[in-house]
Amino acid sequence: MRVDVRGEICPYPMLKAVEAMKKAKPSEVIEVLTDHAPALETIPTQASRLGFSVKIGETKGGEWRITLSRASPS
Amino acid sequence: MATSASKIGTLNAGRFVALALLAFVSFMLLQRNPQIGVFWLFGLAFGFVLQRGRFCFASAFRDLFLLQDGRVMKGILGGLLVATFGFSLVMYNLLPALGMGRIPFNAGVYPVGAHLVLAGLLFGLGMVVAGGCVSGTLYRIGEGYVASLVSLAGIIVGLAFVHHTWNWWWENYISFQPLVWLPNSLGWAGSILATGVAILAVFLLVLWWESKGGGIARVSRADREVMTFKERIDSLRRSVFVWAWPAITAGLVLGVLNFSLYLFERPWGLIGEISRWSEGFLSLVRLPAPVHVGGAGPCSIGGSESISPLTWGLMINVGMIGGSFIAALLAGEFRLRVARQGRRYLQSFGGGTIMGYGAGLAGGCNIGAFFSSVPSLALSGWVFALSLAVGAFLGVQVIKRIS
Repeated sequence: MRVDVRGEICPYPMLKAVEAMKKAKPSEVIEVLTDHAPALETIPTQASRLGFSVKIGETKGGEWRITLSRASPS
Repeated sequence: MATSASKIGTLNAGRFVALALLAFVSFMLLQRNPQIGVFWLFGLAFGFVLQRGRFCFASAFRDLFLLQDGRVMKGILGGLLVATFGFSLVMYNLLPALGMGRIPFNAGVYPVGAHLVLAGLLFGLGMVVAGGCVSGTLYRIGEGYVASLVSLAGIIVGLAFVHHTWNWWWENYISFQPLVWLPNSLGWAGSILATGVAILAVFLLVLWWESKGGGIARVSRADREVMTFKERIDSLRRSVFVWAWPAITAGLVLGVLNFSLYLFERPWGLIGEISRWSEGFLSLVRLPAPVHVGGAGPCSIGGSESISPLTWGLMINVGMIGGSFIAALLAGEFRLRVARQGRRYLQSFGGGTIMGYGAGLAGGCNIGAFFSSVPSLALSGWVFALSLAVGAFLGVQVIKRIS
């Protein structure tokens, strides 16, 4: 699933990412596109609480792709 | 991706020109008017740190309810603690002998009453709806958020409403409310201890609340390999200029900056200057503010009383936008951010207006009436903060319904 929240004001980038994680199917990978830097600080905590692992990559200056996938059960 | 990432945080020609221009302005200001120049440098520093720490007071209160995340709130508490010790030293110097209800010059002590509770509720609600407090609005303008410019316009309009209702508030209510400065009743040691213990208690409460919500993920960027000198310098550069600072680092630096500014002249405050902009706006639309009773009117404590266009408040506020702009530029994060949905501008404006009215009624914003008031050993900072929290809770209910 792709969640494009570029151009959203605070706190909607975080809220929409959390919503997507709650709705995601078991094996689904979520890609969040954002230009809102504070989201990089808050989403990892929300992800780990919901059982997702987080990868953050910068796509260009001031824009990031956050990849959320279910942490494999250990 | 790797190629663009390697450019981030380094200088290119455009950035160099912008930085050189800012350095030139700073030099000229310091050379011609050192006092104004120092305020400008403080403004730059505040803006830089706010941007690096992603340090938004609105999110500090809001995320406690929305995400059960206290990242920025813990940073604020750290800042309040260091500032409390720093402010106490400055205030003791200003007023070594207590008594007769005197209050140190420029301390952030505001009247405590029901108006302050109402102000906090409005401010808390408005900042969450607008998506940023007053300091957050200024630093995000520097990052290129168009919606924050709209919030600022809302704050100015909200303050305009205060200008036209201030005399009523003052004559019927605010003038009868006490200025509660704790050392007058608890002594120096007692009030510093009470403030410190209260800050620690709130800190523990936040930790407990976060853990109850499922804990906090540590994002570790530390490289565990052996690094050469060059790699270590590069890693240091990224920690300062590219990666976000831990909120606690930003909070502590802001606390130290705040008491350094009080050591220089006065605590950090933003709204007095914006109130002046609001008066300018009122004359422009031919609805001039009436002559205010009760000192200089709303926000006289944080106000810019100078008639010169170069006021200390202007230097702080514009400096903050400049400092955040520099930080965003160096991190490679600056870009014009147009809101995705047009109605977000309406939200920013409406929230800004409510927040502006609350700030005017309190006499300060999240900075003056809270971040500078608690360390001033004033009761007003605590009353305002508690009301802010309730207002932010109400704001969270609103924003959940307008996603």
